[in-house]
Order: sequence, then structure tokens, then C-alpha cells
Amino acid sequence: MHAFDYTAPESLASALAELEEAGDEGKVIAGGTALMILMMQRLVRPTRLISLRRLPGLGRIEVVDGGVRIGALATHRDVETSPLIRSRIPVLAETLSRVATLRIRNVATIGGCLAHADPNQDPPVTLLALDARVRIAGRQGERQVALDEFFVDYYQTALRPGEVVVAVDVAFPAPGNASAFHKFLPRTADDYATVAVAATVTLTPEGVCREARIGLGALGPTPLRARDAEAIVIGERLSDRLLAAASEAAIRVVDPIADPRGSAEYKRQMAGVFVRRALRGAWDRASREAA
Amino acid sequence: MDARHSHRTRAHAERLTGGESLEQFEGAVLSGVNEGAHFLGLGWVRDAIRRIAGFDPFPGTLNVRLVDRDALPRWRELRRDAGLSLTPPDTHSCGGRLLPALVEGRIPAVVVIPEVTRYEDEVLEVVAPVRLRTVLGLRDGDRVRLEIATRHVVVGKPIPRVEGSEKVTGQARYAADVRLPDLLWGKVVRSPLPHARILRISAEKARALPGVRAILTADDLPPVLVGRRMLDMPLLARDRVRFVGEPVAAVAAETSDVAEEAVALIEVEYEDLPAVFDPLEALTAEAPILHRDAGAYEGAPKERPHPNVQSIQRHREGDPERGLRQAARVFEHTFRTPRAHQGYLEPRASVVRIDEAGRVQVWTCNKTPFRLKEQLARALELPSERIRINPVPIGGDFGGKGFSTDVPLAYHLARATGRPVKMVMGYTEELMAGCPRHPSIITLRTGVDAEGHIVARTARAIFDGGAYAAFKPRPNVDLHGGHQAGGVYRIPHFEAESVCVYTNSVPSGHARSPGEPQMIFAVESHTDMIAHELGIDPADFRRRNLVGDGERLATGHRLERVKARETLEAALEAGDWRAPRRPHVGRGLAMSHRFAGLGDARARLRLETDGTVRLITAIPDTGTGAHTVFRQIVAEVLEVPPDRVVVSVGDTDAFESDAGVGGSRVTRVAGHAVDRAARAMREALARGDRTLPLQTEARFSVNETGTVTSFCAQVAEVEVDPETGCVKVLRMVTAHDAGRVLNPIGHQGQIEGGLLQGLGLAMMEAMGAEDGRISTLSLGDYKLPVTKDAPPLTTVILEDSVGPGPFQAKAIGEMSISPVAAAIANAIFDACGVRLRDLPLTAEQVFFALQSRGGTR
Amino acid sequence: MTLRIRLSVNGSAREVLIPSSRRLIDFLRDDLGLTGTKEGCGVGVCGACTVLLDGRMISSCLALAAFADGAEVTTVEGLADDERLHPVQQAFIEYGGAQCGICTPGQVVAAKALLDEVPNPTEGEIREWMLGNLCRCTGYYKIIESIQKAAGHARL
Ligand SMILES: Cc1cc2nc3c(=O)[nH]c(=O)nc-3n(C[C@H](O)[C@H](O)[C@H](O)COP(=O)(O)OP(=O)(O)OC[C@H]3O[C@@H](n4cnc5c(N)ncnc54)[C@H](O)[C@@H]3O)c2cc1C
Ligand code: FES
Ligand code: FES
Repeated sequence: MHAFDYTAPESLASALAELEEAGDEGKVIAGGTALMILMMQRLVRPTRLISLRRLPGLGRIEVVDGGVRIGALATHRDVETSPLIRSRIPVLAETLSRVATLRIRNVATIGGCLAHADPNQDPPVTLLALDARVRIAGRQGERQVALDEFFVDYYQTALRPGEVVVAVDVAFPAPGNASAFHKFLPRTADDYATVAVAATVTLTPEGVCREARIGLGALGPTPLRARDAEAIVIGERLSDRLLAAASEAAIRVVDPIADPRGSAEYKRQMAGVFVRRALRGAWDRASREAA
Repeated sequence: MDARHSHRTRAHAERLTGGESLEQFEGAVLSGVNEGAHFLGLGWVRDAIRRIAGFDPFPGTLNVRLVDRDALPRWRELRRDAGLSLTPPDTHSCGGRLLPALVEGRIPAVVVIPEVTRYEDEVLEVVAPVRLRTVLGLRDGDRVRLEIATRHVVVGKPIPRVEGSEKVTGQARYAADVRLPDLLWGKVVRSPLPHARILRISAEKARALPGVRAILTADDLPPVLVGRRMLDMPLLARDRVRFVGEPVAAVAAETSDVAEEAVALIEVEYEDLPAVFDPLEALTAEAPILHRDAGAYEGAPKERPHPNVQSIQRHREGDPERGLRQAARVFEHTFRTPRAHQGYLEPRASVVRIDEAGRVQVWTCNKTPFRLKEQLARALELPSERIRINPVPIGGDFGGKGFSTDVPLAYHLARATGRPVKMVMGYTEELMAGCPRHPSIITLRTGVDAEGHIVARTARAIFDGGAYAAFKPRPNVDLHGGHQAGGVYRIPHFEAESVCVYTNSVPSGHARSPGEPQMIFAVESHTDMIAHELGIDPADFRRRNLVGDGERLATGHRLERVKARETLEAALEAGDWRAPRRPHVGRGLAMSHRFAGLGDARARLRLETDGTVRLITAIPDTGTGAHTVFRQIVAEVLEVPPDRVVVSVGDTDAFESDAGVGGSRVTRVAGHAVDRAARAMREALARGDRTLPLQTEARFSVNETGTVTSFCAQVAEVEVDPETGCVKVLRMVTAHDAGRVLNPIGHQGQIEGGLLQGLGLAMMEAMGAEDGRISTLSLGDYKLPVTKDAPPLTTVILEDSVGPGPFQAKAIGEMSISPVAAAIANAIFDACGVRLRDLPLTAEQVFFALQSRGGTR
Repeated sequence: MTLRIRLSVNGSAREVLIPSSRRLIDFLRDDLGLTGTKEGCGVGVCGACTVLLDGRMISSCLALAAFADGAEVTTVEGLADDERLHPVQQAFIEYGGAQCGICTPGQVVAAKALLDEVPNPTEGEIREWMLGNLCRCTGYYKIIESIQKAAGHARL
């Protein structure tokens, strides 16, 4: 690897100051699982590396205003095994348990995952469906961005130079709400998804969909929302026709690329299948909940 | 012997001898001079029989002459060294050996082998607690069935690994672990283009980098070409590059980071040349020619119908054209398989040091160190005595570690700098510039008669050899797979043509059973496709056509002691072939056979003053457990506890030559060498030679395949998701005609590892490429099977005593890999009616096939 | 840039100077000579480089040595207790869990971490935990069996 300076500041303020001072030459590192590979492949060559690993409190998972705040340094494994998340937002724990292997989940952080903005990652798909909000800190202070507006393009986010992700906020599900996550791995059990779909639906006591959100992974330059499909199911009851219509609408928004996990056309087709399955799964859970 | 039967005889054996296997012999009763009666009259002999066999012997022997001439060699071996010693109380009497046996499946007995006997060696002297003639009502000439327990104390037992403790503690030192003072790190500049002229290489910037100690290009090296058999590859590209990843320059620096920086700073100017990637295209008249005069390369095969042909090989038996003309029906299908890496987890690594005496000391992961020494002597233009290959364990080979292209570069860097140099490939380099399994395009054309017998077949296999043939060790630079086009069937008229072709791709090399997974996928898919067309159950179709005892394979090779049918039936039974299936679930069947390998090997044994027996072998440890089997053989023959036997690998000074690892040869060839060395020691000891250390040495060489092969039959059960095409392998059955299993742990480990590699080839392993650039450049994209991909597995072992190896072992290492893909493809067809002809068997292929058919069956 | 880090490796405390870009795997292998930790894929997939960082298994190929500042690192060399092998190591020898051995250090380190957390794992739990430790030789069956046997042994 190339040579670089490395610091591990012990307060957010000094981390932000160092980041600003380093400018283009600087990069923050958290778990390092993505950045180390990029550096070894010579794709990224920062001359200053600012480690967030010593920032106090940034790994906490805690309840705030009707939801949970997951600190940027919380690892995938922390989230997966958190009793709070398991009991209140089980789909998130389930999603995290499907990421890579335990060795990666022990290290990779939620902040790093979001900032890395690889459209093939799994957690953003579910976080999109859960309408998560990203908390961002900069020298000017903190701001919040809906996750929906956070991803801009392949590996590009709404983070401005000098900013870091400090947490992601997820509201607790409302009554009548349930979610499902599907990661499609047709060739081997350890892989990035061929497609990943998360769906969340909130039902009225009568079984009518009040609210729905669908997140899509590995299906475009960023993790996507299938908004047309969501609109189709809202106000409706579950039927095969409804699911077919929603899945067709979802197929229209995806723009996947071919890779060893499948051709673009196959991924498009699978988006349809898994939107259907995820919606049905979420719906079934929600109606059990309502019952 | 089917699975249940072998189980039953084992139970008898267990009662009789405590868990040893029984071998069947049949003989005719003859009257004799009752020499045995005298022998049996001796008190110490009776005592010994009482002690060993647990009965009071009737004072007289039943003499039996072996009926089956084929069993004679085996009996001779047994009488030479099996059984329990009868040691006389004094040196004047003569002793012998005892073999526990069952007569007619029920009467316990022993076969006595006096050291001195008047009988010819096909006569067995049987002793029982009763007079057998009376009890069984036997007269001269009557047949008797004998089951003889061949008592092995160590062989056949699950002895743990010799080298186990070093491996689990991290103490085992592999090539990349060798640390020397003053070590420099070597790295290679690789071509980014598939075919280009090198115009200029400028290294000034790199040279200026602090810590860079040497930079070499082709101009700094002698103009030698290297290769295992065919010498067609330069050490560094000279004037021309022929594949993306080809080494163009080499760097030595103080750290690997600096070496990498230097590599990035070396600028090479190229002029693009037209390139060819498709092997069929490479054989057309307009194709760019990779090597101007490949026929002139040393070791190049003579026949060269097109300049891009590396090798061409033909097999012809009977009159295939006529056979096809006369067939009732003819079927033709084409199959394709992709490029696939061996997938060992130890990327190639080499360390070279030129010592004070000017000797070249080499540590490298190479499974044929003696051949490497010769190859290096030529490449480095040095006398071979100046080169020493130091043994290191090898972190997985699977065919890929037979050639060390980095060693000559490391040597030249070491020479240029006067310091030792270490070169370790990254996995990206492995995938870009290793020596993967040949991609193939295989067309089979088969004629069957009205009764469903295969009467004729022609086969054409095109193997994409990549830019150089240097990685192939066979004299004809071809792959064994070509021979396998006839499968396990009796086909009177046969022609197979197998062609290895130059393309501007990474050079292909050998990979576990070279060419066979490709060919068996084609053959066994084709077999099912024909059976389906004929409306015959795939198992029945195979039964009709399987090669039988004394019959010939399609290649004309005559076989004896054929276990094809038994192996098939065992797999079918264990795989519940006829059981009803759930919807979307299917079962598929595939078979293969393989001969044990040929070659020569040496072994040396030393009985040390402290009583340990040291085996010095030339076979490096590639992880197969060979050293453990050697230990067992020595312990068995010398009748010492296994932990008294120490195995060490000789460096290349220790022996003159050795064929090394490969082609399923180790147990057979090197095992025999070890066996012979041990017997020589036993004889020396028996002669009273007690001067320690006592050393014996043996060589074993075999170059005739012989008439015995081993069969494998597999059943796969899969479930297909009709909405996604996703294929889940629910279970696998693998049945093996295994000869004698010398170590059940190691044997089973070979089966399981091979099977999972077969599963990888079937389901996921494919090196993608675009315009000659490999697109799967890490193990994140080129996927190998993981724990959760390993399906529930049932193994059936059919043991018998006809293998060509020591103690009648057969080859196992390259058996289980080949049928897997076809078994799964056939199961997919059974589950959903989709026939896939290209590997890997992706969900995507199934999905689109289902779509174009409009739903499932 | 040179960093001073303090860490404990297999129970012994160290304070060392390292280049800040040093990967943990290179620090262990080249600086400390602990070559039991192997590099296979170099990208976090194969698990040959598995070590424990404060008891959690990680890929040392994807970690900077600097990450270990103030932490405790356990490598394969630290599993055996004096001359007594860890039950996992013993089981890998006895039940055929190791063939070529290149993946073995990573396997036994991962398996130890498993048994530390789940003393009596089911086969499914073993497969899940060991998902990231590739083995090309064994096909995994004997690795799984070795871990089951080690768990049984640890219980006794
Ligand atoms: C072998 C392997 C397999 C994988 N498989 C999967 C998979 O199946 N599914 C999946 O979803 N993911 C997978 N991943 C991706 C993994 O989830 C990401 O690498 C990980 O989430 C990145 O987190 P990190 O903390 O390691 O980030 P780092 O590598 O530390 O950083 C990544 C990027 O984010 C920046 N960054 C980090 N933290 C912050 C912050 N708080 N604020 C601003 N910027 C920040 C860094 O500067 C860098 O650009 C895999 C990774 C590997 C290595
Ligand atoms: S070398 Fe680190 S995971 Fe493969
Ligand atoms: S034992 Fe060889 S890779 Fe696992």
C-alpha cells in the first residue's frame, strides 16, 4: 500500500478539524473493509487517513424520539445482535445478518456502509424501506438527510467535503406495520445480492394498505425506491393481480448492470419476482400482526 | 460387491479378526502329502493357532487349488506378506504365517503358509477345528469357497495426519513463510493488452524510487523459452505480449510496497495487434497467428493443421463413419465449459537465494521439485547440481502447482542484486495469470441401434489453451479428457479428436483431472439426452451400455475386474433413484472412471539407532495425506507402531529424480516405492542385519496403465425454483469402486474435497473475460463454494482387492470431481425439463429456458 | 509516517514502531514472524488471515496494524496452551479437518471464537459461523465434524 499519515482523534470536533485541514488529501476510515481494498487496488490514494475508531459514543445503539439511533461506528454485527433492534425492528437485524460473513460484519460499520454507497450493499435497501434518516456532522454543525436523498450515484452521496455520518435514525414501526427483506443468492451462500428487495407495509385493521415502501438493491447506480409500485399497492388489499402490477411497476424503475451475479435482463426480471415476494411477506406478517 | 454385501462380509470379518476385510477365493479340493499334519503336530504351532484363531486345530489340512487364474497374483501377494507371523521358538524350526478364513461362509479356519512347502504356490492349506472333508462332504475336485481375512494392523485405519500438528498450530512453513535476512521483494509488471508489440519500456521513474534494487526486462535475460513439456514461453515478454497479465518486467525492492509502486511507475509503450479470444475463431484462416512458428518450439507436437493449434490428438477404433451410418438413430449435441481456476488458497510463492557456494537455493510451492530442478537448469543455463529445491508444504495444488514461472525471475533478480528475493502472487495475479482449467467446446455424435445400444460415437473437443502451452506436462500437450469421450461405455466404433488451441488469453494449465470434468459433463449429459429421446430410463440406458468384465472401452482399452455395474447400482440405491419426488424436485445420474497414474518414484528408509524408522520421500506434501499413507505402509510392513515412523521430504539433493505429484499417481507409484523400501528393510532385518542406522532404498516405476480402472457413480437431487430458476442441490450420492482404502480419513477427504470442487464447477465457478481481460479478478467475484453450499452427502465405498497400488489401493483424488456437473444438469432436467449445455448451471440459464418454454413441465 | 502502537499479541504486551500504512497481516507475519496467519485472497473473502481482535474474528488483510493499538490480538500461534493443543486443534488433526493446511490456521482461530461464544453449536450454526472460511481441500464436511467433536470434547 502507498504511504499515508494516520491519526485517530478522540473527539468529533478534532476529527472534523483534521478532515477540513486535510482537504482533498484526507479520508476518514471506520471499519476499513471497503477503503482498504480500494487503497490496495490503488483506486483511492489519500495521503491522510483520519480514523473515526476512537470517537467516543459513536457506536451506540439507543432509543431516541420514537425510534432508534444507530451510531455510525456501530458494526453490522452490533446491529444484528442488538436486543433492541431484534425486538423492535427485526427486519433490520435480519438484513444485517445476511451481509457478507461474520468476519466482515464484526468490522464493517453502518456509517461506512452508507458513506461507501455501493448499490450492491444490503443494509441501505432495508433502511430505505424503513425511511431512515442520516445524521451528518460537519464543521458547521449537524444536519439530517432522508436516506432517500442521501445516495446520489455509484459511490456518491450527499456528504459534502469535510462531513461525516454520525448516525442513522430509524423510527419504530407503527401498529399494523411489518417488513420483509429478500437477498437473492442463486450461486453461493456468500455473495453480494443478485438483487435485494425490502418491503414494508402498514395495514388498516381491515387489511387495506395504508403505507408501503420498497427498497431495491443491486438494481441501479444507487439503492432505489420503487415509488410507482408503492403507489399501486397503497389503498389496496392483497391480491395476485395487485402484486403483479406492483412488480411490473418496479421493473420499470430499475437499471441494473451485468456482472458475475447475473445479466441486466435477469436482474430486471428478478426485481419483479422479489418485489412480489417481499410485498407478500411483509403483508402476511402485517396481517398476522393486525390479527 | 454392492454396498450391502460389502457390509455383510465386513461383519463376518469383524467377528473373525477384529474389523479387517475379507477377500473371496474359490478352490478345488485336492489330496496331498499331508505335510501340514506334521506341521500341525508341533506343539508351538497348535498353541499359536489356538491363541490366534481361537480353536483347537484338527490335525490335518484341506488342500485346495485356486480355480480363478486371475486371483492368483493377489494370492501370491497375500502369501508373501499378509497374515500373522508364526514365529518358531528356536532358530532350527521353520515358521510361517497364518491367515484367518471362513470356509463356505460359516466354518472358521486358518490358511497356513509354512515358510517351506512342497506345494506350488496356488495351493492353499486350510486348517479348521473339524475335518472339513467330512463335515462338508468334500471329494477331490469339489469346489470350496474361502473368505480370507487379510489382517492389516495399520493399513486401512484412520490414522491422523503425520503433519497435522504443524498445520493446526501455524508452525508449518510454506513458501511464502520463508524468511531470510536481507530479503528483497520481487514483483512483476504485467501486460494490460491481449496482443501487442512492445515498443519501449521506460523504467527511469521506477529506478529513481528509493528502495528499488533492480529492474529487469527481457533484454536483461538470456533468450530462453520455458515450459513443462513444450517450451514456448519467454520468462519476460520479448517484443510481443500475447495475453493480458503476461510478465513484461520484474522489479526487486526493499519492501513489497515499494516494489508495487515501482511496478506502477514503469511505462511500457505498446502497439496493438489484432487478437483472437474464441478458440473456434482462432482456427479460421483469417485468425491472427499467435506464434509465428510454434512447430519449431522444443517439445512441440508434430501435427499442426493450423498455426494456432497447440496440439491435436486422435483416437480411432473400428469404423465410426460406418457405425453411424448403420445406427438406428444418431444424436448430436454440443456443450461448453468455462475457464476455471484451481482455487487453491495459497497463491504462488517463491524464494530464491544464491548461497555462498554459488548454489541456487529455491523454496517454492511446486509439486514436482525434481522436474522443476531440470526445468530450471535449462532456463537458468546452470548445471542442475547447482540448484537445490528445498521442500515446503504446498497450500493446495489441484494441478496448478506443477510449474513455477516466478522462480527464474526471482533468480535473475537475486543475481542482479546479490540478495535473496521473494515473490508472492496476489490472488488477482493468480486469476489473471495463473494457469486455469481449459475452457472447452465439445461436440458428441452418437449412433444407437434399435435396442438402445451405443454403436458408434465421434467426439470433437476444442480446448482453449490460451497464449502458451507451457503449463501442460503431457508429452503431447493434450488433456486426458480427450480419451474420456467414450465414457464408461462399450462403443465398438469410436473416434475422438481433441485440439488445444492458442488464443490471446491466459495460458491454460492442468487442473484436477485435466479435461475430464469438461468431457464427463458433455458425455453424461449427452447420455441422458439420448436416453430421454429413446424413452429409456437413464439408469437402464446405462445398464445396457456399461463396459463389462473383459470388455473394451471405446478407446479399445481392455478392462478386467470391472465394477461399473456394481458402482452404478450402489449409487442408485443410496440415492433412492426410484422413490417418488416432490414437484420441482429431480434426480440425475452420472458416471466416470479413471485409471491410477503412471510414473516413477523413489523412497529411502533408515532405521535409526533410537529405533525410529525414517522415511525419506521425494513427494512434497500437497495436502492429500500421502505422507500419512506412506507412514502406514511402512508401519504395516515392518510391524511397528505408526508413530515410530517419521516422514521427511528429501530435497532435490537427496535423490536423482522423481515424477512428483500428479495424475493420481502418488499412492500407486510412490506408495509402491515406499512399500518396496520397507520390504527390503524387513528382509534385511530377517537376515539378521542389525547394524544401525540401517538403510534401504527402492524405486518403483510403471508406464503401463493396466486393465484395472476405478468407477464412480453419482446421484444428485435438486430442487428448482420455477420463478427464479434457482437450483438448490438437496443431496448428493457418490459411489466409488475404491480398491483397498488405505486410510479412510484421507480417502474420504479426497472424495469430499473433489466433490465440492465439482459442485463449484457445476454451479458457480467461471472466470469471466472481456476481450481477453479476466473480469473476475478477486475471490469476491470468482466464487468458490462455502460451508453452506456443501450439500448433504452420502458416500458408498465398494472395497475389494484388485487395485494397482500397494495393498490393492486404487486412485481416488481425481474421481469425485468429474461427474458432479452432469449429475446436477441431469437432475435439473428431471426436475423441470430444462436441458442446460453450458457450465456453470446458473439460475439465469434455467430461468430463461423456462421462460422461452412458457412455464414448467 | 511512523506510528507507535501498544498491543498485546497472544498474551504478550508489545510496544512497537510501525509505518502507518502497515497492514495487520504484514505486521504479524513480517515484523513479528508469526507466519501462521496466511494471506489467501487479500480482500476479506477467504478467511486464511483470520485473527481475533479483542476476541472478535476479523480479516487481518483488511485491517491496519494501527487498528490493533490498545487491543489484544490472538493468532493461531496463541491457541495452544503451553504444549497442550486447543481442543479445536486436536480435533482438526484427528478428524481430518486439515489437508493442505493453508486454510487451517484461519479455520481453527474462527472455530475457537465460535466455541468461546457458542459452546455447543448446531451444525447450522457451525456452517453460518464458518461461512467466511474457505477451504478448497476438504469440502468442509470434516471441518464441520472436527468442530462438532471439539465442542463435545470441550463439554467433557
Ligand atoms: C469481502 C466483503 C464482502 C462484502 N459483502 C457484502 C454484502 O454481502 N453485503 C453488503 O451490504 N456489503 C458487503 N460488503 C461491504 C461492506 O459492507 C462494506 O465494506 C462496509 O459496509 C464498509 O464499512 P466500513 O466501516 O468498513 O467502511 P470503511 O472501509 O472504513 O469506509 C468506507 C468508505 O466510507 C467512508 N466512511 C466511513 N465511515 C464514514 C463516516 N462515518 N462518515 C463519512 N464517511 C465514512 C470512508 O472514507 C470510505 O470512503 C462486503 C465487504 C467485503 C470486504
Ligand atoms: S486473505 Fe484475508 S480474508 Fe482472504
Ligand atoms: S486444507 Fe487446503 S484449503 Fe483447507
